[in-house]
Amino acid sequence: MSRPGFVLEVDDRTPPLLVHEGLGFRMEDFPLGTRVVYPPESLPTVPDVDEAIREALLNPTDSDPLPALLKAGMKLTIAFDDVSLTLPTMRAPDVRQRIIEQVLTMAAAAGVDDVELISANAFHRRLTTTELEHIVGERVFRSFYGQGLLTNHDAEDHDNLAFMGKTEKDEHVVMNKRAAESDLLVYVNITLVPMEGGHKSVGVGLSAYNSLRHHHNNDTMVHSTSFMDPPNSELHASAWRMGRLIGEHVKVFQIETSVDNNVFPKPYDFFMKREWEWSVRDQASMLAVRRGLSVAPQRLRHKIFHDLRAPYGITGVNAGAVEPVHEKTIAKVYEQQAVEVQGQSDVLVMGVPYLGPYNVNSSMNPVLATCMGLGYYFNSYRGAPVVRRGGAVILYHPLDEGFNQLHHPSYVDFYEEVLAETTDPAVIGQKYEQQFADDPWYIHLYRTSNAYHGVHPFYMWYWAAHAMDHVDDVIWVGGNRRAAARMGFRAASTLLDALEMASDTVGPSPSITYLHNPPHLIADVTP
Amino acid sequence: MSGRGNRSPLIRGGVADVKQAARGFRWGRRSQVPRSAEPFVPEATSTVFRSDWSRRKPAIVAREAVQKAGLEPLFRSQVRTSVRGLDVFDGLKGPVIFAANHASHLDTPLVLLSLPDAWRRRTAVAAAADYFFDTWWRAVGSSVLFNTFPIDRRGGAMAQTPGEVLDEGWSLLIFPEGTRSPDGWMHNFRMGAAMLAHTHGVPVVPIAHQGTFAAMPRGRNWPAPGRRLLTIRFGAPISPRRDETVREFAARVKDAIAALLDEETSTWWESQRRVASGSTPDPEGPQVAQWRRLWDQTEPLADEPEDRVFAWSRRK
Amino acid sequence: MMLALEMFRSLPRTVAGRTLGGRVPMVGAMAQPIRMVTIDPPKADRPGWARLKTRLSGICGSDLGAISGKTSLYFSAVVSFPFVPGHEVVADLMDDAEAEGHDTLTKGTRVVLDSILTCAARGVDPCDNCAAGRTNVCSHITVGHLAPGLQTGFCSTTGGGWGQQLSAHRSQMHVVPEGYSDEQAVLIEPMACAVHTALRAAPTRGARVLVSGAGSVGLLTTLALRELTDAGEITVVAKHGHQKELAIELGATEVVTPKEVLRRVRRSTGAFQLEPDYSRGYLLGGVDLAFDAVGSKESLETALHATRAGGKVVLSGMPSAADLSAAWFRELEVVGTYASTRSDFEKAIELVGHDAVARMAKGVAPYPLHRWREALDHAQSAGRLGTVKVAFDPRKRG
Repeated sequence: MSRPGFVLEVDDRTPPLLVHEGLGFRMEDFPLGTRVVYPPESLPTVPDVDEAIREALLNPTDSDPLPALLKAGMKLTIAFDDVSLTLPTMRAPDVRQRIIEQVLTMAAAAGVDDVELISANAFHRRLTTTELEHIVGERVFRSFYGQGLLTNHDAEDHDNLAFMGKTEKDEHVVMNKRAAESDLLVYVNITLVPMEGGHKSVGVGLSAYNSLRHHHNNDTMVHSTSFMDPPNSELHASAWRMGRLIGEHVKVFQIETSVDNNVFPKPYDFFMKREWEWSVRDQASMLAVRRGLSVAPQRLRHKIFHDLRAPYGITGVNAGAVEPVHEKTIAKVYEQQAVEVQGQSDVLVMGVPYLGPYNVNSSMNPVLATCMGLGYYFNSYRGAPVVRRGGAVILYHPLDEGFNQLHHPSYVDFYEEVLAETTDPAVIGQKYEQQFADDPWYIHLYRTSNAYHGVHPFYMWYWAAHAMDHVDDVIWVGGNRRAAARMGFRAASTLLDALEMASDTVGPSPSITYLHNPPHLIADVTP
Repeated sequence: MSGRGNRSPLIRGGVADVKQAARGFRWGRRSQVPRSAEPFVPEATSTVFRSDWSRRKPAIVAREAVQKAGLEPLFRSQVRTSVRGLDVFDGLKGPVIFAANHASHLDTPLVLLSLPDAWRRRTAVAAAADYFFDTWWRAVGSSVLFNTFPIDRRGGAMAQTPGEVLDEGWSLLIFPEGTRSPDGWMHNFRMGAAMLAHTHGVPVVPIAHQGTFAAMPRGRNWPAPGRRLLTIRFGAPISPRRDETVREFAARVKDAIAALLDEETSTWWESQRRVASGSTPDPEGPQVAQWRRLWDQTEPLADEPEDRVFAWSRRK
Repeated sequence: MMLALEMFRSLPRTVAGRTLGGRVPMVGAMAQPIRMVTIDPPKADRPGWARLKTRLSGICGSDLGAISGKTSLYFSAVVSFPFVPGHEVVADLMDDAEAEGHDTLTKGTRVVLDSILTCAARGVDPCDNCAAGRTNVCSHITVGHLAPGLQTGFCSTTGGGWGQQLSAHRSQMHVVPEGYSDEQAVLIEPMACAVHTALRAAPTRGARVLVSGAGSVGLLTTLALRELTDAGEITVVAKHGHQKELAIELGATEVVTPKEVLRRVRRSTGAFQLEPDYSRGYLLGGVDLAFDAVGSKESLETALHATRAGGKVVLSGMPSAADLSAAWFRELEVVGTYASTRSDFEKAIELVGHDAVARMAKGVAPYPLHRWREALDHAQSAGRLGTVKVAFDPRKRG
């Protein structure tokens, strides 16, 4: 049975509530009256994933069945979402592997020889071979990787980018040449949160700087309210224009999947339960895990958390034309994640967990933590932000993980150089973005090593731009003071201290809302 | 001062965590659901704790030690007992269902400690899930001490059904009234015990006892002073007949216990004659003012003359 | 008789200072070959010479190096033991000072000293360098009527600033303008060195410059570069927070910590960063001009590693041994700059009038001579403690 999400009001019967904070969590006694938004429980999953995939491929939405689109002698490209999905990494076999295997089986039956697979990582880091293999599975990996037919998209390989034209708003559309020149482009997606999928899959995942800069910027993001609500998101409007333009030239067969809320494996499943329903075993696990983490060195904690594999179940598989498919997918995602919340509050509390899309197998540096809290979590609303304009946001994260030099070289410079000067996303964009985007060393590392593109930290900051524009105060509970100050925020050691500090902004007895995620939730706020 | 400051974060944080959890999760008390969450919490189908572990070897060994070294001496120090009818165990093979009237928390130890050791070790006690199994410590305590297993008075699903316990070869002690009598007199019987005997084809051994209400009624949590006398009488096992309904069989069990109670105040022969003539006194007592019902039941049992000798009796 | 600090020849102490110096501060200080003495004041009986009464005398990095035994033995030939250290000197004339080619200065005039003991001071014919005005690299620093000694403060004949009295030649003297505080004046000598460094480095217009170190040398070099040259962006490496503000005031474009420096230079120059095995990272590409204003191995390597091929690395502190691979591999021009000349002093006197330097001068910490251990200890960790310059004021009694 799947229970809906709901809003708890903390009363004297409420046990302490779990709050994630990086490589750990704490049990917080929230002030009485605090509203706590709980995500719905996992929806029923499809009983047989392989059968659901076959069904979707054979009976697609607004499209001929996939086998009818496959012909001998054609050029077929399969693009797929990269390692930033799902979070945490899905327990093997990954659903993308299952889909790709079926697509390839059909392609083999149709006698298609020219097949390439591309990880649609845009400006994300190149995936390691292990990561690629996890996504596509051993069989696909062995068949394609050695031949160089399973690759990462390279947004700086200008010889292999195709200019597709300009949208009606004069936006350049550039995409992977191989994908653009294919007779059929199959995109294999996981829509973990509502911002993903649809035209964003091909339009963003396979594009390059000249396209990205049109929607990955401060202005667009401030006007994406929120980017988790595509109809109200400038980001998506732009991606949709681009996607439609691409659709005029390239035949795209979109396969989208949605997952349930089953994020944490045992014995960490208590993370997903409602605290007053914790059994003695859950309470004991909580105490044991807390103790263990308190003595474990950072590296071990990192390993413990990053080795978790999510036991996600698949709630839906849809295939066919991009837009109708995405409509179905996103309806399912909202069904899984949406919670109705009445009215905004003065203070929004969120726990930033150990993982975001950009630190898979890496460290959650302060910039990424900000993006996670003020970007992804803050924007997880429809209607109106959970916190009122001019309110305060309280985040939990120690901000102490430092920077991964392999994955985030430009982040270090962004943090030390750019943020030391200004934290205003608009100024940052104008003054520094171009330098970082053109920096040959970052480009070199992006193309040859496993580094995010030089301009990527800017995108993280733009992601948080809407939140920074909307609220007046951001306080990190348990956060490193210097890191918080560098980013223009403040740090407090406890929630009560943070509320005390925020009282300048929101008064002595503010209304408080705590978003109890992960698992992910979308707050449907009626102002 | 310094000792406190020097403790490792492991311990210091651990103490704080445990304190917070103990307070927040109401350790030792009933867990509560926040008011606003109540609509989202499904009706408890099984909030009871499992008790199957208490019928495994380690628990059996522990129980033997606790009963023999702790419970029995304590019990005997507070009350005296008079046990009759142990001859029914001659040639009887388990499992059986013991059905007894219920007036006090003393009933369970009284019955258990009156059983022959071999039978006692193989007897489990049906206990109300909503009372004995809603906190872990009460569940553990009663399971270890009395080998209780949960039954639901409201008819919900249990982790392990009484039938399964029976099938594992355990005899069951069931109080068919389902709850302690408020006035010491017998009250309506529920069908549970009869139903179990009927479906599993095991005999019911009726048990009648007196004096526990006087010694420790509802509301008291320790026997009244003065080592009061408790009497207990086992009756001949009765098995459901082939064409008998559960309801009929339940009535027969109740009558058997009523006859045993009658025998307690008269003799076996008199009680049998009254059974035959259908004039066994109503075990539910006379329909008179409540105070008179209580007055009757709280009268201390008179000691039998020392020189009377009964077969199969045991007095301590 | 006068009170002075005297450095003497002591092999055990030098060795002990060298091995323990940095690591065991207390013991290190005990082992230094320096002591407080009462001695006869130096004479000034030669023409052009005069006696001076010390007002303020700075403690320089090279002094600390000498005391702790870190200085290369290379310099043992150009000093004469025992000597009174102190070459950054502000003093009052006790006699009239007159010499050919110079105005006569009357008794009581407040002067600063150009500490180099040149041919003129030694009473010998000018060597080629002195004749050409490059008095800082005079070839005759061991001959003449003075004991060997590269500078006042390293010569047993002249005395030094760390005593109540010393002697100096008229050619060394520069009048301190009215209105300058003693603290400001004591910065003139280091300022002159910085001027010399900046001019010798001669950055081209718009050149990107890295100054490694934000002690007095680094800060003053930054000022000299900004005021006297057309250098472009100047990046200063500062370990301590308070140095950052000063550096910006003195003309730095950006201030970075030693940990950030390579990445920041890489970023601002679009260079490529390499990470060799078990060794310091370096850039392919980088700044046009780098200064080592510390004199440590780390600082020098930072300068070498952050400079583009064909660029210039300037040694403005007394250098330590470092990995010179980059100098060879990247065809770097490694340039030494030592002390200063008369013309540098003139510019320095002007620059010390700069507001930022005046503010810097307020941070000069004067100590009486008898608290010399404290003073040296303070100077050793001046950067961390937020002091720009520690100095002796022999007039002070308490």
